[in-house]
Amino acid sequence: MGKILIVDDTLFMRTLLKNILFSGGHTIAGEAGDGEEGIAKYKELKPDLVTMDIVMPKLNGIESLKAIKEFDPAAKVVMCTAVGQEQMVKLAIKSGAKGYIIKPFQAPKVLEEVKNVLAS
Amino acid sequence: MKEVPVKIEYNHEWIVTKLGITEDRISIPAPFNTEILFKTISDIAEKKNVLIITVKTDKETVYRILSVEKVLQILKKLIFASCNAYRLIAYFMSPAIRGGVMIKDAQWEKGNIVVVSSGIWFTSATKQICVPVNDVAAIELTKRDVQGKPTDVIKIDHLESGGVSSSFVLCPLSTLQVLFNFLRDTTKGMDMKGTELDSIDQQVAMLVYSGMDSHAIENMLNISQKQLDAIYDKILKLGLGEVVTMRREIQLTTKGVRFISDATKSQTQ
Repeated sequence: MGKILIVDDTLFMRTLLKNILFSGGHTIAGEAGDGEEGIAKYKELKPDLVTMDIVMPKLNGIESLKAIKEFDPAAKVVMCTAVGQEQMVKLAIKSGAKGYIIKPFQAPKVLEEVKNVLAS
Repeated sequence: MKEVPVKIEYNHEWIVTKLGITEDRISIPAPFNTEILFKTISDIAEKKNVLIITVKTDKETVYRILSVEKVLQILKKLIFASCNAYRLIAYFMSPAIRGGVMIKDAQWEKGNIVVVSSGIWFTSATKQICVPVNDVAAIELTKRDVQGKPTDVIKIDHLESGGVSSSFVLCPLSTLQVLFNFLRDTTKGMDMKGTELDSIDQQVAMLVYSGMDSHAIENMLNISQKQLDAIYDKILKLGLGEVVTMRREIQLTTKGVRFISDATKSQTQ
């Protein structure tokens, strides 16, 4: 079980992820509505894992991921994105993301990916 | 002629028999006493270890053949090679995405795609995977990174164990469009025209897909049970969902309140 930071610009997706992760026994360290806030919250909360949306205002998920990895090379970030953005996902993996989930997602699959990344 | 042990359904009973197999046909002994040319097979489906084949000659006949996996694999391989279906050599990755998550060891496989009326089959030397037409959620032409190059592929979203999986097909561009059109025609029953949901309805649908129950959905979206029921009705009416559990919430009538009041009194007396 881990302490997780959720970074997504839609309240609906944050709430959904929060519910899924909470039901899986994880603790929600915090949530952020854009990349900049995500980086600041990461530095402040030092979560075990971050779920990071790719398309976001201010700073997108890839740039935010890079900034987090620069601050903490051991950071575990799972990218969360819509179907059809797989090129972005590959770029994210190259940039240090540990896993990814594609929307729409199902709770068991999200929990499985989070579990795998936390165990890695 | 090779012979394989099977059971065949006859008058609602399973008969133990041996099928004779040659390159172009199956021979079924008594009580059938018939030969089935592979090229007359118009459909092939599988349910657990029962192979359902439809033969179209001057009439349509359905045979249900039950056997062990190894025998069914041989039968399917021969049928796929010669049956009356749309087939082409292609690379496929099936499934590639399961429940929104990329399958880590998914690889492109060289084989055939065989489209029959009830399903889309991906076959290779080691695999025989069927996506039933009724389980197809979407088909689209899209691009996918193959060996570092963005390449045109067909993406098929389909239901698998209650979740959505995606499979990819890759073949020369000239045949890809033909295959796409054919698949679209085969699966035209999934046409989404007239399917409209507003923002809150879509959120409910997404939460249902994510596995949330009614109570969680009401809390998350801050809506009443009555509102949620109305949205469920809309989703059901559009054929986007089906009822799996009947939920009934009640409140007590005056008579009911009197009943429990009396019951409480009698327990304390």
